[in-house]
Amino acid sequence: MAEPFKNTPPAPEAKGDMTAQNIAAAFAGESQASQKYLAFAGVADAEGYPNVARLFRAVAYAESTHARNHLSVLGGIGTTADNLKAAWGGETFEIDEMYPAYNAVAKLQENQSAQTSIRYALKAEMDHQGIYDNTLKGVEGKADLGAGAVRVCPICGHTVIGDAPDECPQCGTAGSYFKEF
Amino acid sequence: MDEAMEKRLPKTEDLGAMTEESLKAAFAGESQAAEKYLVWAGQAEDEGYPNVATLFRAISFAETRHARNHLRVMGGIGATADNLLAAFGGESFEVDEMYPAYHAIAKEQGNNQAVRSINYALRSEVDHKGMYTDAREQVLAGKDIADQQVHVCLVCGHTIIGDAPDKCPYCAAPRDMYRTF
Repeated sequence: MAEPFKNTPPAPEAKGDMTAQNIAAAFAGESQASQKYLAFAGVADAEGYPNVARLFRAVAYAESTHARNHLSVLGGIGTTADNLKAAWGGETFEIDEMYPAYNAVAKLQENQSAQTSIRYALKAEMDHQGIYDNTLKGVEGKADLGAGAVRVCPICGHTVIGDAPDECPQCGTAGSYFKEF
Repeated sequence: MDEAMEKRLPKTEDLGAMTEESLKAAFAGESQAAEKYLVWAGQAEDEGYPNVATLFRAISFAETRHARNHLRVMGGIGATADNLLAAFGGESFEVDEMYPAYHAIAKEQGNNQAVRSINYALRSEVDHKGMYTDAREQVLAGKDIADQQVHVCLVCGHTIIGDAPDKCPYCAAPRDMYRTF
């Protein structure tokens, strides 16, 4: 936080298992609310309500600040090396266990769209796992990543460091639609 | 979002109960990953890794695409009037039940930082609830809300339609800590 003022964001505090569980649940709730409102903002724009769209985006941001505060209380904000390890761990769980299990259920229940949504995510998490792994190696040697842009497919989340492909290899979306970071 | 992109998105479908449970959990996971990566981007910046920060922001965006896809398959993205009602419902639950219960437990367990994080969120959710109520009335009449800026305190999430106050009423952060939408 650049500016000092009376109340800085909440700090880590390990007191009470029930409280930790509740704050973790609140973090989950705020994170999901934020994502819903961002999706709802897109609908409001498409329906011709730009000011409602702005309200949804602003409130989504407010929920993100709550999510960050709860994460801080939980001690979930470490050094960048710790954060990269945690990120790698999360992606690995999704790749090795979560999405294969969910895909098996969706296949059994013949839910085609669910399988598509799961496949898009699973493929992108594999990109992320590899990128986090390489990035962690750099940061452990105090080296930042290269300065190249990162590009993300707005449909399936396929993530590349460097130029966008002509066409997304996972979902076929034209590379010109990729969002640049 | 144009047609070429729209057709690649997974569509809403009738889901088996177990598939729905899976997608709900996946939506929760992606939403939380997106928030964590945003926070960790800020940490990477503070540590002098601007390109790692960019990477975290890009991958956060990728996770928001997965969250949106899962939500869409579950039928969680409706018309704006429906979305405002769902948003109001979520805020009401947090205001009436979730945060008061969590607050009571955190207080009982003497976790002051958790109490603060909960208070910041609870107060903002009360604001959001009112804003969503007003917005829904307008949208049900086929009207957008007024063209006014929305300001959000980046410490506690205090949300106000119109100008930012000199000092945040909830956390005392100065005016320049407000983000404009």
